[in-house]
Amino acid sequence: MTAQVCPGRIASRRAFLRGASFAAAGALVPGSHGLAKTLSVGTTRQQGAPLTRSAPVPDYRIEIAEIEWEISPKKKIRTSAYGGQIPGRLLRLTEGKPVTIEIVNRLDHPEIVHWHGQWIPVDADGSMEEGSPMIPAGGVARVSFTPRPSGMHWYHTHAMARRGMQHGLYTGQFGVLMVDAPTDPGRYDREQFVVLNDWEPYNSPSDDGSMMVQYVYSSINGRQLGHDVPIQVRPGEQVLFQILNASATEVHWLALPGHQFQVLALDGFPVATAAKVDTVRLGPAERVTALVSMDTPGVWILGEARTSYLKAGMGTVVEYAGRSEKPKAAEGTSLKWDYRAFGDPSPVIRKPDATIPLVFTSRFRGHGAPDQWLVNGKSFPETDPVMLKEGLRHRLVFDNRSTDDHPVHLHRHNFELVSVRGTPMSGVHKDVVIVEANSRVEADLLATNPGNTLFHCHQQDHMDAGFMALFRYT
Amino acid sequence: MKFFVAAFFTIAAAGILAHAQGNYEIQVYGADTIPPRSTMVELHSNFTADGERLTIGGVEPTYHAEHETIEITQGITAWSEVGFYVFTSETTGYGVQWVGDHIRPRVRVPETWRWPVGVSLSTEVGYQRAVFSPDTWTWEIRPIVDKQTGRWYFAVNPALERTWHGPDVAQGIGFSPAAKIGYDFTKKISGGLEYYADYGSIANIASLHYQQQQFFPAVDLNVSPDWEINFGVGIGPTAATDHWIVKGIIGRRFSWPKKK
Repeated sequence: MTAQVCPGRIASRRAFLRGASFAAAGALVPGSHGLAKTLSVGTTRQQGAPLTRSAPVPDYRIEIAEIEWEISPKKKIRTSAYGGQIPGRLLRLTEGKPVTIEIVNRLDHPEIVHWHGQWIPVDADGSMEEGSPMIPAGGVARVSFTPRPSGMHWYHTHAMARRGMQHGLYTGQFGVLMVDAPTDPGRYDREQFVVLNDWEPYNSPSDDGSMMVQYVYSSINGRQLGHDVPIQVRPGEQVLFQILNASATEVHWLALPGHQFQVLALDGFPVATAAKVDTVRLGPAERVTALVSMDTPGVWILGEARTSYLKAGMGTVVEYAGRSEKPKAAEGTSLKWDYRAFGDPSPVIRKPDATIPLVFTSRFRGHGAPDQWLVNGKSFPETDPVMLKEGLRHRLVFDNRSTDDHPVHLHRHNFELVSVRGTPMSGVHKDVVIVEANSRVEADLLATNPGNTLFHCHQQDHMDAGFMALFRYT
Repeated sequence: MKFFVAAFFTIAAAGILAHAQGNYEIQVYGADTIPPRSTMVELHSNFTADGERLTIGGVEPTYHAEHETIEITQGITAWSEVGFYVFTSETTGYGVQWVGDHIRPRVRVPETWRWPVGVSLSTEVGYQRAVFSPDTWTWEIRPIVDKQTGRWYFAVNPALERTWHGPDVAQGIGFSPAAKIGYDFTKKISGGLEYYADYGSIANIASLHYQQQQFFPAVDLNVSPDWEINFGVGIGPTAATDHWIVKGIIGRRFSWPKKK
C-alpha cells in the first residue's frame, strides 16, 4: 500500500477543533434507534446480513431524504441530501479508530453511500459495481470500518444518475469525511471547509459536437454568493482551506484575490513540495488542502476564477475583521495548474512489477445523445477486468484519446503520479487525477487491499455511459 | 427557407396564380442562437438549374439565376441575436445586381429553462427591388421548434408572411412552413431532408398546382463549431416552383470571448 505521510502540524488538537467551520453533529448523530429492515455491512459482516444483537452500536447516523434546499432566498432546490442539509454535516473520524455508521434511506429508490478515499473492504466501500449492497428504499444499513488514511476525504452517493439527471451526484448527497491522524495537530489558526457544487443540470451541445452537462446555478457550502455566511478572518491568521469539488461533472478553478494558496495536500495526501499558487483547480471529487496567510486586509470573494461560474453563485465572502467594503472578486486570474509543481524536485521513479494500459475513448451516439465511453475498447459492464497481484507495484498508464478531460478515480486505493504528459514526477499521491484530453498520465499503484476495486471517471455522465472498469486481485 | 419574395400575383384577367419565387436563403432554422460576443458570417449560394424562363409582370426570370446572399448574425445575449442580409442575383444578360436587404432579430427560450424542445422566434423585415419582387416591403414572423434526440434531428418553422408594399398587400397573411429531418451518420456528417413550401394566403390556401413545394435532400458537415457547411439539391414538383435548385451554405463563426 502506498505510504501515507502525515503533515507536520504543531497547533493543539483542541485549538484545531475550535477553529473548524463545520460541526460534527446534526445529520451524523451519535447513537442509533430501533429501525426496521436494517442491513449490516462492514469489515466483519456478511454482505446484506440482517442486523443481529451483536451488531455494533452505531457511532453516527445518516438519514437520506428529499429536501427543499435554499441556495438563495430566491432559489430553492428540490433534491435529496444527508440529514436535511447541503453539504451533509462534517463527519470527523480518527484514523485507526473503528467506526460504525447507520444509514437510513427514506427515499423511494435504493441508495448507496461511498466512503471516498478510504482503504476499506469491499462490503463497506459503497459501490454496487464492486459488490457492496445497496440500501433498499425505506431501508437501513450499518457500515463498520476502520478509517484510514487520514486527510480530507468525503462521502457521497454512488448511485447512477439515470434519466433526467435527478439522481446520483446531481443531488445534494455528499459531505466531508475528515479523518484525523491520532497525533494530528495543525499549524494553523483556523480551518475552513469549502465544498463546491453545481445545480440544475441540463444537456447542451458542446463545441466538439457531443452533448455536455451544464448547470444553471453553482454554490459553495450549499449557498450562492451573496447569500453565504462570510468567512471572518483576522490579519496575520493562517487559515487552512479544505476544499472539495463535489460537482457531478464540472472542473472548478478557485481564487482568492490578493492571496496565494500554499498547497499542503491533494486528495488528503501531503505533497512533496508545498508550492504556492494563485488559483487551485479541482476536478470532480478532487480535494485540495491549502494554507492561506491572511496578509491582505479587505473584503474578498473566494470564488470561481471564471466569471460565468461566479455569476452562477460559486463564491463566498472572506471578510477581515473591521472591514466592510464591497467584496472584490479575482480579475484576470490565470488558469494554470500542474500536478508536477507539487512533486519531488528530484523525482524518484521506481521500476514497476507490471504495467497496465488503460485507454480512454468515446463512441459517438448522435449530437443529441451523450457519447458512450470505453476503457480499453469496452464499456462497463462489458469491460475486461484488470488483474492485480497483491503486494506488487502496478504502473497504470492512463491514455486519454478523447477530447474530454477525465477525472479518473480508483476506489479503496490511492496511487502515486509518476508521469504527466511525459514528464517524470514523484511525491504526489492521489485517488483522483485529471487526465487531460489527448494526454497521458502514469501512476503507480501498490496492490495492498484485496477485493474488487472500481476504477472510473468521476464525471457522473461519463460513468453512467460506461466509463468504469473493475480491478480484481489474482 | 426565406421565400422573401414569395409573392403571389395575379396574371391578367385569368385569375391564375403564378409565383415570382426568389430563392435567396434556403435554410430551415434551428432554435439555437449565436452566442454573445460572437458573429456568424454566412454565404448562401443558390443556383436555379431549372426555373422560370420568362419575365412575368416585370419580374426577372429565375432560370439559371445565381443568387448570392451574405448573412451576418451577431449574438446579443445567450438568448438573442440579430441577423442582417444582403441579397444579390446574377442572371445571364442582367449581370450581378443588388436585390435587397433584410434585418432579422431573434429570441429563443434559454437553455437554462430546460424545455424538452428548442424554441425560438424570429421576425424579419426587409426591402427588395421591384424588378426581383413586386412586393418590395415584406415582413415575416417565424416560430422555430427543434429537437435533437440521439442521432435524429427534427425542426419545424411554420412561418407567416405579410406584404407591406406591393400587389400582395391584399392577400393578407401568407403561410410558408419549412421543416427538416436529419440523421447523424457520423460526428461530422449529417444528412436529411428539408422541406419548404408556400401555401399562399392563410385565409385562402392556394390549390396544390399553385403552391410552392420543394424538397431538398441535404448534407450538413459538422467539421468544427466555428464552421457551418450545408448543401443540397432541391426538387420543386409544382408548377409554381422552380424545379431544380442547387444550394450551398458556408458559414464561419468569429468569437471574442472575455479574457479570464
